[in-house]
Amino acid sequence: MGSDDRVSFTLNDRPVQAACPPERILLDLLREELRLTGTKRGCDLGTCGCCTVLIDGRPTLSCLTLARLVEARSVTTIEGVSPAQGLSAVQRAFVELGATQCGFCTPGFVMTATALLREHPHPSRSEIEQAISGNLCRCTGYLAIVRAIESAAGSAP
Amino acid sequence: MHLDPFELHRPTSVEETVGLARSLAGRFDYLAGGTDLLPNYKMHLNLRPHLVALEAVPELTGHSLERLGAMSRLADLERDPALAAAWPALADALREVATPLVRASGTVGGNLLVETRCFFFNQSYFWRASLGFCLKADGDRCHVVPQKTTCYATFSGDLAPALLVGDAEVEIAGPTGRRRIPLTGLYDAGGDGIRRLTLQPGELLVAVHLPPRARGRRGRYLKLRVRPAYDFPELGVAVAGRWDGDGRVQELRLAVGGAEPHPRTFDDLTAPLEGQRLNDARRAALGEEVARRVRPVHNTFLVPEYRKKMVAVFVRRALAQAEEGRAA
Amino acid sequence: MTASDPVADEPLTLLGGRIPYVEGPLKVTGRAEYTDDIRRPNQLVGRLLRSPWPHARLVSVDLREARALPGVAAVLTGERYPTPFGVLPITHDETAIAVGKARYQGDIIAAVAAEDERTAELALEKIRFEVAPLPEYADPEAGTRTVAEPIHARGLAGTNIQKEVVQHFGDVDAAFAKAAHQVRVRGSFAGVTHAFTEPLVTIAEATPDGRLTVWSATQVPHYLHRALSEVLGLPMHRIRVVKPEVGGGFGGKSDPLPHEIACAALSLETGRPVKMLLDREDVFYTNHGRHPTRNDVRIAVDGDGRILAYDVEALIDGGAWSSFGTVTTYYNGVLAMGPYRVPNFRYRGRRVYTTKPPSGAMRAHGGTNIRYSIEVALDQLAERLGLDPFELRARNALPPNSTTVNEFRITSTSFLKCLEAAKRASGWSEKFRKLPFGRGVGLGCGFYISGSNSPIHFTPKMPQSTVHLKVDMDGGIAVHSMQADIGQGSNTLLAAIVAEVLHVDLARVHVQRVDSDVSPIDLGSYSSRVTFMMGNAARSAALQLRAALVAGAATLLGIPPSEVEVGHERFTPRGRAEPAVTFEQALHQAMEKVGALTATGAYQTRPAGGSFKGARAGTAPAYSFSAYVAEVDVDVETGDYRVPKVWAAFDCGRVLNRLAVEGQIEGSVHMGLGQVMGESMNYRASRMLNPSLLEYKIPAPQQMPEVEILLVGDADPEGPFGAKEAGEGPLIATLPAVANALYDAIGCRFTELPITPDRVVRALEERRKEGRPWKGA
Ligand SMILES: Cc1cc2nc3c(=O)[nH]c(=O)nc-3n(C[C@H](O)[C@H](O)[C@H](O)COP(=O)(O)OP(=O)(O)OC[C@H]3O[C@@H](n4cnc5c(N)ncnc54)[C@H](O)[C@@H]3O)c2cc1C
Ligand code: SF4
Ligand code: FES
Ligand code: FES
Repeated sequence: MGSDDRVSFTLNDRPVQAACPPERILLDLLREELRLTGTKRGCDLGTCGCCTVLIDGRPTLSCLTLARLVEARSVTTIEGVSPAQGLSAVQRAFVELGATQCGFCTPGFVMTATALLREHPHPSRSEIEQAISGNLCRCTGYLAIVRAIESAAGSAP
Repeated sequence: MHLDPFELHRPTSVEETVGLARSLAGRFDYLAGGTDLLPNYKMHLNLRPHLVALEAVPELTGHSLERLGAMSRLADLERDPALAAAWPALADALREVATPLVRASGTVGGNLLVETRCFFFNQSYFWRASLGFCLKADGDRCHVVPQKTTCYATFSGDLAPALLVGDAEVEIAGPTGRRRIPLTGLYDAGGDGIRRLTLQPGELLVAVHLPPRARGRRGRYLKLRVRPAYDFPELGVAVAGRWDGDGRVQELRLAVGGAEPHPRTFDDLTAPLEGQRLNDARRAALGEEVARRVRPVHNTFLVPEYRKKMVAVFVRRALAQAEEGRAA
Repeated sequence: MTASDPVADEPLTLLGGRIPYVEGPLKVTGRAEYTDDIRRPNQLVGRLLRSPWPHARLVSVDLREARALPGVAAVLTGERYPTPFGVLPITHDETAIAVGKARYQGDIIAAVAAEDERTAELALEKIRFEVAPLPEYADPEAGTRTVAEPIHARGLAGTNIQKEVVQHFGDVDAAFAKAAHQVRVRGSFAGVTHAFTEPLVTIAEATPDGRLTVWSATQVPHYLHRALSEVLGLPMHRIRVVKPEVGGGFGGKSDPLPHEIACAALSLETGRPVKMLLDREDVFYTNHGRHPTRNDVRIAVDGDGRILAYDVEALIDGGAWSSFGTVTTYYNGVLAMGPYRVPNFRYRGRRVYTTKPPSGAMRAHGGTNIRYSIEVALDQLAERLGLDPFELRARNALPPNSTTVNEFRITSTSFLKCLEAAKRASGWSEKFRKLPFGRGVGLGCGFYISGSNSPIHFTPKMPQSTVHLKVDMDGGIAVHSMQADIGQGSNTLLAAIVAEVLHVDLARVHVQRVDSDVSPIDLGSYSSRVTFMMGNAARSAALQLRAALVAGAATLLGIPPSEVEVGHERFTPRGRAEPAVTFEQALHQAMEKVGALTATGAYQTRPAGGSFKGARAGTAPAYSFSAYVAEVDVDVETGDYRVPKVWAAFDCGRVLNRLAVEGQIEGSVHMGLGQVMGESMNYRASRMLNPSLLEYKIPAPQQMPEVEILLVGDADPEGPFGAKEAGEGPLIATLPAVANALYDAIGCRFTELPITPDRVVRALEERRKEGRPWKGA
């Protein structure tokens, strides 16, 4: 990487290149430079999961990731899992079952849930609780979120 | 929250890494998953002008039943059923670290070397400035035990106790070559919350070696924390051992973390139990003795009297559950 | 409802079901726009300098170095805009930036706008204050006496007491004298905070046309509007307040907050847009959490368990500012007045300033801590009397259409139904005192206001909520109102009420973003007022629109309007399927000559309460009621406990959006559980020790119980379609239900919150020491 203050990676299935000093955090690159504002900033310290994105398919905290270190990797944000028309099964279930209230935590949960269902198409309740335990929701008490993920698991992808 | 500028290095071999370390002597930190270092940097805790990122060094990645590269991600280890079967205490501990999102980035090396913690240290620059800086960062006194020489920050990694009871060794590369030492030797028993490691300047943790002789011990790691997610250990107790068909102890290891500036083993207490059958009374006696020795201070969420009391309970339970647990 | 109300007797078609949030698709795709998602051209970064001192006189300040820094656009201290403000008109003691002295660690003492974050922070470091330290006042008790340096000059006679309330109804001493039993609970409650996920954030943009636009994460756009005007000295009509999507509030965004005003001041100063986004730590300091409280509750009953009197004292830690504190001080007493009949009542409440972050309104404001102590006391009384806790409560239930001793008007109450439902569903009789040691069930009850009869700013002659509707050629119905959806689903309810009255597709109704230029005033999201007040306003506006459409249809059908039947998206002669006029046809007919149709609906509370001082505090047009049973499972060695299940019987009147009501209840149980199990703002003297989401212990998903929701309320006579509230009341009963279940499980009473495992272990040890066996252990 050396002195070249840039980063190149795959973002939502498309190659991107961006100016990026070493100290830039991925969350800032996404929100402030690339203006993908679907990924939220709740704490900046790894304690809320609002900033969750997929890096090489795994849900990861973008607020604790140096942007330069996603060089050559694949990053998927909420914008990348939202279909051009309509909603994904996870998103639909979140809306229909009331798993989104204020919605600020929701993009992070959708990322976590999407990755979970790719890895375990039929997770148990405790697997779901465990999987979402890094995403903080202050509105729903999690129960509707768990139900939505269960319901999305039951429906077609 | 932004980070202050630094220079970022991304070596691709251990040799290059160690070379960089030599040239940057004292002015850098290694960056593994960053889940410990970056929050600390955001809070302006002991910043250095260079970061040496380790994720592009192939020798540090990957794992087997004998070796965990320092850069193995906790999330990958957690998903390996063979590893879990061979090293049950480790499997317990892996599931208990932070949150799944943190484990996606967090590494074994970072976990063993995780910065010690204290209510008066893990605070923003503003907060620390307002109370007065402490010994561990920018200051000259301690807010927990008022004096000016010793820091009582708590070692709060979950994996260390679990690896200690597996007799793990660590491979270290430094400017003067490589060495391999028992994991116990990584932590400076004579040090404090600041001088807590035996690593020499610039030394790099390359891998953790898991000796085949300890593989398949029954084991358990029990963690005390307020919530089943997020929280660092307020106490972590690991046990591993073998029992013969008669229920007699063939070998037994016990380690405690999350209570003092470094994790500890208690071989002098567990060795005499070999050849004996453990019963409730023996387990309780061991628990009491360990609790007597462990001295938590008030720098975490739960009060130290309680944490100390729980040492006895957790030791007893971990012993019983390990013995009950299936061997590999 | 009025006799001429044409929808009163129609069956509901949309309301009453599960209505997914109208903006849900935007939220789940990351397309909903929150304040921090907005970026104005040429925007500056705003940053705040916070006091590192708990209490200090600001002697002088040197801003030269900071101002000289390249990239710094403005540096402000308190003297520039010193006008005090506050959410209550009677206690304006906050300033945008501290004037003269700093009152807690975290108090804002200067503000900077700069080209970027780093420059702004560098500038903060270069501001040099000379200060004289003042005594730190961490303990509210100490503040009740004369102090050397009162935190505010307006404190009561040389003390730090911000507000004292003394009330006495009936004759409490006489009642206690003839009581068969009495019990006393002294509760102690750590401060807790809202911890919404979206941090506080504001953008302000002063423009060359002399206007100021402010986008802010607020629950009270109107109160913010007023505060901006008062402090900045601009007429309200020159200021425009916009509320984008808000990521949770729970009361934490229900004051106009100093950073919002400081941000606007920086924009006025620089003539450029300024964004002020607070760090999570700053959010802990800035928002006004639930007051740390100590209360002392004595209850007297007769031999049958009928309540004779309450004698209540509360000492409330207000932190550095007044905020809602005067209301809090009243509420900690008067919200004891339901759900039971209490013939004699005495209360002394004092709220004391301390050098800590300010306390204010948090979900179930003022009703939570007092309720805890009362419900724990009743549990003790039931035991003493040998009565089932349900029976004790049922004997004392306030009847419908009654008046409390302090003159609250109680209209609908389904409290008895709540009790019955919770008892039956939980299998109470098979469990209470019958589960093995370590397991137990407990009952807790509650009631809460459904809005407040006293609007904070206006005379009662002004409506508390106004809703505008507009429908033009396109057939879309635009709804405007300043009500603030913060995730509770009020936009959805607003749209659904309009759709229900008009019998149109929900997709036709578009709730517009709150914008003070176009939205008529609604006072905002607090005191659980929105459904009741906005709902009534919306209903009334929609009825007017309906009348206009019916008139249009009548013309086309050639029949009188009274003969028109309103079907779904169509109009027919009464009782016939044909001929039919579509919604559009009726609309276009109605628009002839007048153009777009508009309608205004408003809601105003009727006068309520007695004539004594403070009589209006706690008066509401309706009250919600609840009875919860919690089951607990305690690890008696570690003190760790789980709550596997909660049965939540709730009377919110008629349920309008079941999805939203259930969501509010589940979320409330989670938040209530947090206050019981681990949430607390911890202090060393007056410095907060845990201003982070890592050390502030919000329960994890694995800690959530199964929640069985029992909605048993009858329709309220005055609520919109019979609805009351479900936003705050559902939190209250959670806390005592868990505490009483712990008693059933292990025989220990807990009067100090949170009940952390170490406290459980200590309590168990004490019980053993007392030699008091419980369930054989
Ligand atoms: C919200 C939250 C909760 C957490 N909870 C827990 C918890 O419950 N239990 C727990 O154990 N941890 C917890 N952590 C801390 C941390 O996430 C984990 O310990 C993690 O495993 C650290 O690994 P890392 O790779 O991210 O470390 P990094 O942050 O990259 O590094 C940590 C330290 O180790 C040094 N280092 C890393 N690798 C090497 C190497 N190979 N050679 C030499 N030095 C090296 C770094 O210089 C740094 O000083 C938590 C963190 C967060 C943000
Ligand atoms: S124990 Fe003392 S010296 Fe160490 S971090 Fe805490 S306050 Fe600082
Ligand atoms: S913003 Fe990344 S975890 Fe909170
Ligand atoms: S929906 Fe508001 S935080 Fe989850």
